[in-house]
Amino acid sequence: MEEFTQILLLFFSTVLVNNFILVQFLGICPFLGVSSQVETSFSMGLAVTFVMTLTAAATWLINTFILEALNLPFLQYVSFIIVIASLVQFVEMFIKKTSPVLYKALGIYLPLITTNCAILGLALQIPLNNYGFIASVVFGFAAGVGFTLAIVLMAGLRENLEFGDVPKALRGVPITLIIAGLMAMAFMGFSGMISG
Amino acid sequence: MKQLIADFKNGLWKENPIIVLVIGMCPTLAVTNTAVNGLAMGLATSFVLISSEIVISLIKKLIPNDVRIPSYILIIATFVTFTDYFLKAFFPDIAASLSLFIPLIVVNCLILGRQEAFASKNPVHRSIADAVGMGLGFTWVLVALSIFRELLGMGSVFGIQLLGSWYQPMIIMILPAGAFISLGILIGVMNVISSREG
Amino acid sequence: MNKNIGKLVMTLTIIGIISALSLAFVYEWTTPYIEKHAAKARESGIFEVVPEAESYEEVTKNGIKFYEGYKSGQRVGVALIEEGPGFQGMIKLMVGANPANGEIYGIKILEHEETPGLGANITTDSYKSNFEGKPFGEYDVIKRETSDPYQVEAIAGATISSEKVTRIVEDAVDKIQNAYGGGN
Repeated sequence: MEEFTQILLLFFSTVLVNNFILVQFLGICPFLGVSSQVETSFSMGLAVTFVMTLTAAATWLINTFILEALNLPFLQYVSFIIVIASLVQFVEMFIKKTSPVLYKALGIYLPLITTNCAILGLALQIPLNNYGFIASVVFGFAAGVGFTLAIVLMAGLRENLEFGDVPKALRGVPITLIIAGLMAMAFMGFSGMISG
Repeated sequence: MKQLIADFKNGLWKENPIIVLVIGMCPTLAVTNTAVNGLAMGLATSFVLISSEIVISLIKKLIPNDVRIPSYILIIATFVTFTDYFLKAFFPDIAASLSLFIPLIVVNCLILGRQEAFASKNPVHRSIADAVGMGLGFTWVLVALSIFRELLGMGSVFGIQLLGSWYQPMIIMILPAGAFISLGILIGVMNVISSREG
Repeated sequence: MNKNIGKLVMTLTIIGIISALSLAFVYEWTTPYIEKHAAKARESGIFEVVPEAESYEEVTKNGIKFYEGYKSGQRVGVALIEEGPGFQGMIKLMVGANPANGEIYGIKILEHEETPGLGANITTDSYKSNFEGKPFGEYDVIKRETSDPYQVEAIAGATISSEKVTRIVEDAVDKIQNAYGGGN
């Protein structure tokens, strides 16, 4: 029961307190690029969550049984990025087969998940966390959920902005960044929520 | 020669990676909390960009098209690992402040993007010019943004205290929220400048 | 088709091998420097938190590494590196204590990711002085000045960071007590 509480806390702290986009600054490119519509954002979020969960599992295994066991820390970045690139390739093929509509909607953003710093950022934190396998997988899943939450919230706000009157110079990226800043400030309210 | 100068200047303004192409965002927001960090990150990224563009431009004919992206990524990851260990060994303080963002250079879309868009299609000397221009373009925006944030957030620039104790620092500036807002304002201002010019 | 896949795999494998070999070389080259920095940081930390010490010895008790400080052959104190969760990320600090009289000499923050301008002030002398001369035990973190040895004054606007550091110090003191005795 104690362990379950720990895992639950880990989940919430990763989704809210240490939100990957709004607090840790990871995954900004897709956050700015894909967040104009709620539907695409949600699909992107789902794909990212899926890849993140698998990545967490894979990197934990590689780190524990290969990198640490054989003392090859310098192969960390190279091996992690290979894993991520392969996983994304796999997810792409999977989506192409099961939902061509979704595949078309996500377009170029799918292969771009490989260069999504959020995924690599997640992978790099796994060896540092010293969590067990299950906790690491939950961590990966929560990171994806947090990412999805932020990107969907942003899309919702931007969809509403379509009807607003944004000054010409701020249209597009600048106003998105400013909104992101306000969201980040709001999320600051979560820090300290989970103590110890 | 003229071509080389044009290649170089491109990255500085017209196709500035951060302001115009809007790529390489993650480090831009995360490590611009102090001017030293912004400069260090800019230089580290430039180093990786230049080395990878050189290598890839040299061996571009040897890489089959189907595996070009994984090959580029492998090469980039190798140079990043080198940079990481180099900084840890000889500049440990900088390595500590940039920490996780050094390895994230691997997925900085700027670097992969330039291999795709330029190094894989152009001779070495032009690739060098492109890399140096883009690297500098990336670095100057990082430094500008970080000077802005450090000055307002801590009253100092490059660690030198400029604003006296009368100044109540806007801590928000060195926090994530301040980064988003500062960059948003910076790009907005740049948009105004370029629309007046063109 | 077969020949094609062969070429693809070959290319990646060759790049992979060259990459791994060159990185192994870089690793071998830089590791001594990296370890030197870590040792230097540790050493200056030990001499800072056990001020009387002129030399030190690394000792392992109960599976934990302690650094015993010596002056003229006499053990004058013990230092320990302890880490724990802070407000943001992990905090790694060093505690120096004298088991002979059950008192803490002082602490040094080695690594942290606390908020600059707020939690980051755990590295300031004024916060660290809270722990100087403290008897072994548990401490309450309160929001005003105090001269009670079992209380720690929190940093304004960074109560949580102040508390986290206090917990880590308590843990370290526990370990020192278990290994060397001292205090009640």
